[in-house]
Amino acid sequence: MNFYLTYFFIAIGLFGFSALFALFGVYAERKVSAFIQDRLGPTETGKYGSLQTFADILKMLQKELIIPAAADKLLFMMAPAIIFIAVYLGFAALPWGPGLVPSKLNLGLYYVFAIISIETLGILMAGWGSNNKYSILGAMRSAAQIISYEIPAGFALISVVMIAQTLNLQDIAAQQGVLSPGKTMFSGFWDVSSIGGILAWNIFRAPHLLIAFVIYFIASLAESNRAPFDIPEAESELVAGFHTEYTGLRFALVFLAEYSMMFLVSMIGVILFLGAWNTPLPNIGPAHLAAWTTGAGWGILWIMIKTLTLIGIQMWIRWTLPRLRVDKLMALCWKVLTPLAFLCMLISGIWRLWLM
Amino acid sequence: MSLAQVLFYIMSFISLASALFVASTKNLVRSIFMFFITLFALAGLYVLALADFVAITQIVIYVGGILVLILFAFMLSGKETLNAITQQRKAFISLRKIPAILLAALFLIVLVNMIFKVDANNLAWIRRSIEARNDITPSSAMTENIGVSLMTNYLLPFEAISILLMIALVGAAHLSRKGARP
Repeated sequence: MNFYLTYFFIAIGLFGFSALFALFGVYAERKVSAFIQDRLGPTETGKYGSLQTFADILKMLQKELIIPAAADKLLFMMAPAIIFIAVYLGFAALPWGPGLVPSKLNLGLYYVFAIISIETLGILMAGWGSNNKYSILGAMRSAAQIISYEIPAGFALISVVMIAQTLNLQDIAAQQGVLSPGKTMFSGFWDVSSIGGILAWNIFRAPHLLIAFVIYFIASLAESNRAPFDIPEAESELVAGFHTEYTGLRFALVFLAEYSMMFLVSMIGVILFLGAWNTPLPNIGPAHLAAWTTGAGWGILWIMIKTLTLIGIQMWIRWTLPRLRVDKLMALCWKVLTPLAFLCMLISGIWRLWLM
Repeated sequence: MSLAQVLFYIMSFISLASALFVASTKNLVRSIFMFFITLFALAGLYVLALADFVAITQIVIYVGGILVLILFAFMLSGKETLNAITQQRKAFISLRKIPAILLAALFLIVLVNMIFKVDANNLAWIRRSIEARNDITPSSAMTENIGVSLMTNYLLPFEAISILLMIALVGAAHLSRKGARP
């Protein structure tokens, strides 16, 4: 029975973590945007405005839950829950450190990829259920965008999987450091299994994986509906897109899902390309930096630092680049990213056959 | 009853009940969202049958692809079209429905016949596989198995499907092309 209790604790822990991260993420986003736009951001509530998001969530909890008269009530109420659960389920297969993974799935990566695609359905549900033209336009844009960008993201991931030869996220993570069970080559010619560190990360295992990482990163911005790909909720055109009609706790759930999605896609990027929970410090001669800084505790620290760095870059991009037009967005996906991702996959196959 | 059995009955109940709702409701959009629940419960049943790869593929293709495309078609067609479908005639048995009823009845007869004839607990080919140790366990990795099978025993069907998909892609590109058509 203890067995099942552990499952519940881990599930609740992950939920608590994503809620805490959303609180921190909103605060960080406001501060980052303020810095980039030469403003101050929240300053009044708490020291440096640090209690601002807590005040916001308290306000949201007290708000009335308004359901529009013409809405499809059931779909309208269920949509935020489905959007959030789809993202939250994805966390089940992500490894946090050596031996620390909520669910050790053989098909981990494929599972995460499948579960993320359910979010689209929740967004369409919200758009249709609201019975509002802005909502429905936002939902349709969002679905079109997510479906399109899943293709380059998927092929970028496949080109890594072809090199790593497994879909198990924990195995992929282990291959990129000193705990690797097999040989890890730097660019296909230098065996770095005992050196580890930044040299063993997947982006350096083959030169084309660096391109695959860039493709994945761009596509992941689109999948989490972040600027410059935020046409589903373009404020200047669509009020707030698919979540125009949501208030109070339901709106909070939609936001929670957005920030959890940011964390999820960044963490997948880190696991697949940036060495997962492995340390960036290599073993140099007698200084076994990699061996000293590898372990369960260190693993959580490294993966958090790397993921938060990627999220920081996402925020930086959001407040720097202007929004793309719909047709430019699709052109970028289908005419640039998809062919490049196909090319990466092809090179991965050749690499696997002749160089490994 | 073991936990697996309880899960099996829960999931088959969910899939059957939601499928009934999909077939009977007049609200088409809700029936599509209900179909999502049916597909999810089916994916759960696949997992119980140790076919986890099939389960996830079902979610990727049906939920992430086909259902979203159906919803797209819905949202692009106007409310009037949808209302016309809602106001169908209510009679349960009518002349127009006879082919459907006939087909369903025949299919039911075939299914019932199958269920009574097959002795599911000791099928010959399953017993042979177990004796030859050619079976899968909950911990075995299925992806390699599927990949090798697709590239050896089932290469011809696999390639035939890829050609079919290619034809569909070329057709879609041709239909959406700008300019004068021959």
